Amino acid sequence: MKISGFKYLANQGIENIWKNKMMAFATFCVLLISLLLVGGAALFYFNMNSMILGLGNQNEIAVYLDPSTGTARVQEIQAQLETMDNIDSVEYISKEEAYNRMKNQIQQGEAIFDYIDSYEFMPDGFKVTVVSNDRIEDTTAQIGGIEEVQSASSSPQVAEFLRELRRVVSIIAIAVIVALSVVSMIMISNTTKASVFARREEIQIMKYVGATNSFIRTPFFVEGMVTGFFAGAGAFFITWAVYRAIFRILMEQGTLMRAFGVGSIIPFDKIQLWVALAYLVIGSLVGALGSVVSTRRHIDV
Amino acid sequence: MVELQNVSVTYSSGVDALNNVSLKINDGDFAFVVGSSGAGKSTMIKLLLKEIDATSGVVTVNGYNLGKLKKKKIPEFRRTLGFVFQDFRLIPSMTVYENIAFVLRVIDAPLKYIRKRVPYVISLVGLHSKTNSYPDELSGGEKQRVAIARALVNDPQLIIADEPTGNIDPELSYEIVELLKGINDQGTTILMVTHEHDLVRHFGGRIINITGGEIVFDEVISGVDEVLPEEELAQAMAEASAAANTGNIVLPDQRIMTPDGGYSGADRNGGSEQ
Repeated sequence: MKISGFKYLANQGIENIWKNKMMAFATFCVLLISLLLVGGAALFYFNMNSMILGLGNQNEIAVYLDPSTGTARVQEIQAQLETMDNIDSVEYISKEEAYNRMKNQIQQGEAIFDYIDSYEFMPDGFKVTVVSNDRIEDTTAQIGGIEEVQSASSSPQVAEFLRELRRVVSIIAIAVIVALSVVSMIMISNTTKASVFARREEIQIMKYVGATNSFIRTPFFVEGMVTGFFAGAGAFFITWAVYRAIFRILMEQGTLMRAFGVGSIIPFDKIQLWVALAYLVIGSLVGALGSVVSTRRHIDV
Repeated sequence: MVELQNVSVTYSSGVDALNNVSLKINDGDFAFVVGSSGAGKSTMIKLLLKEIDATSGVVTVNGYNLGKLKKKKIPEFRRTLGFVFQDFRLIPSMTVYENIAFVLRVIDAPLKYIRKRVPYVISLVGLHSKTNSYPDELSGGEKQRVAIARALVNDPQLIIADEPTGNIDPELSYEIVELLKGINDQGTTILMVTHEHDLVRHFGGRIINITGGEIVFDEVISGVDEVLPEEELAQAMAEASAAANTGNIVLPDQRIMTPDGGYSGADRNGGSEQ
C-alpha cells in the first residue's frame, strides 16, 4: 500500500468517527468506564500493597550489645549492620538514651532510679529497620550471629500477619481486576460489534468492489485506536482528579489513619506518567483490536 | 467472458438451485437473464461474484476459474467486474463523488487519475450537478446512475446488473437500460438480470430464461427499437406485471413464452411471426 493510500484510509477512520458519532460515543463511554474500573482496581491494589509494606517497615529489630563492648567496636558493628543485606536503616541508641527511655517508660516507679546513679549498666543498642519485612526473621538471626550482640529481636508474628494480609489482598485484587477486565472486554466487544454491525452493508460493498481485508480493516483500526486513545485520556483525567482528592482527604486525617499505613499511599505525581501511559496504550490497543476483530464476521463475503 | 460448464449448485438444505447449467457469454455481449422468483437467477449471480462455489462444474469469469480461485485472489478478481444492484448499495456516509472514487481508492489508483476519471464517469451518467450530494438526497433513478457510474469507473470487462430497474419508476427503467446499452456499445460485456419483461421485449438482444435451476431458453430476439406510445407502454407494463407473476415472457413477436420454455400465446394486435 502506498503512503497516500494509508493516509486516505487513516483519514477515513477519523472521518468515520464523526460520521458515526453516536456509535463512536457509545464505544468511547464503554472504553472509558472499562478503563476506569480496571485502572481504579489496579491503583487500589498497588496502594494496598504499598500500605501493607509501609506497615511492615514499622516493624523493627531491637539489637542490644554486651554492655562491656567498647565504643570503637560499637561503631564497627554499626558499620557492619549498615552493609548487611535487607537493612533499611540503623539507628544507634546509646546507653544514656536507653536509660532515659526506660526512665520515661516506668514513670510511676521513678523512685527506683534514685538508687541508680549510673547508666553504665545499660547496653548500647540499635534500632534496625528492614527493606523486606518478609525476610525479617533471617535478618534478625544474622544480626544475632555477631559476637557482641547480646540479643536481636523482632516480631515475626507481625511480619507473618502482614505477609498473609498481602497475599490475601493480592489474590482478591487480581481476581477483581481479571473479572473487571473480562466484563470490560465483553462490554467493549458488544459495543464494537454493534458499531460494525451498523455498517455491515458498507463492508459488503467494499468487498464487492474488490477491497482487500486490510483495506477494509485499516479505517476501523484507526477509528478504534483514536476512540480508545481519547477514552484513555478521559480516564486519566478522571483518575487524576479523583485520586488527588482522595489522597488529600486521607493525608489530612490525623495520626490514627497513619497507623493504618495511610502514609504509604503513593502520591499521584510519582505514578502519573505510568498511569497515563497505561491508560493511553491499553485504551488505544483495546479500541483498535476490538474494532478490527468485530469486522471479521462481516468481512467474509 | 462468462462461461458456465455443467454447473450445479445444491444448498446445504438440499435445494437444487442450479442443475447442470452450461452457458457462454462472449466479450462485448449484452444478455438479459430472466426467470421467476426462485428460478436460480440469484444463485447464478452469487456464483459469478464468487460469493458461493458450484457444487459441480466449472465457472470461468474474465479468465478466472472461480472454483480454483484462492480466497486471497478474490479482491483481484472482483476488480475486473462492475456490479449494479437493485437496492443501489451506495455507502450512505459518502457523497456521489466519494462513492465512485472509492472503487479507484481500492485499487490504489493515483490521485491525479481519480480526480480526472471520477468527474468523467459522473458526467457520463448525467449527474454532474449532484457530485457532492449524499445518496439520501438522490432519487431512485439518480442512485442507480451513481451505482452504474461506480460499476463503470474501474473500466471493468464485465458489468453484472442484478435487477437494476427493480427499485425505480418504470419510465426511468428505460433510461437505465439505455445507459447500460450505451456502455455495452463501448465494448463492456453486460449481464442484466430482470423481472421486467417489457424491458426485455423492448430492447431485445440475447435472452436467457432460467426456470427451476435450468436454462430453458437462450436466444437472440430483436427488440422494439422505437419508443412506445404512452398507451402501448401502459399495456406492455400491465402485461409484464401479469407475466411476472406467472414467469411468462411476452416476446416482441407477441408470442408468450412460459417458464417451462413453451410458447402458449398468440399474436397481439395482428403481430406477425418472425
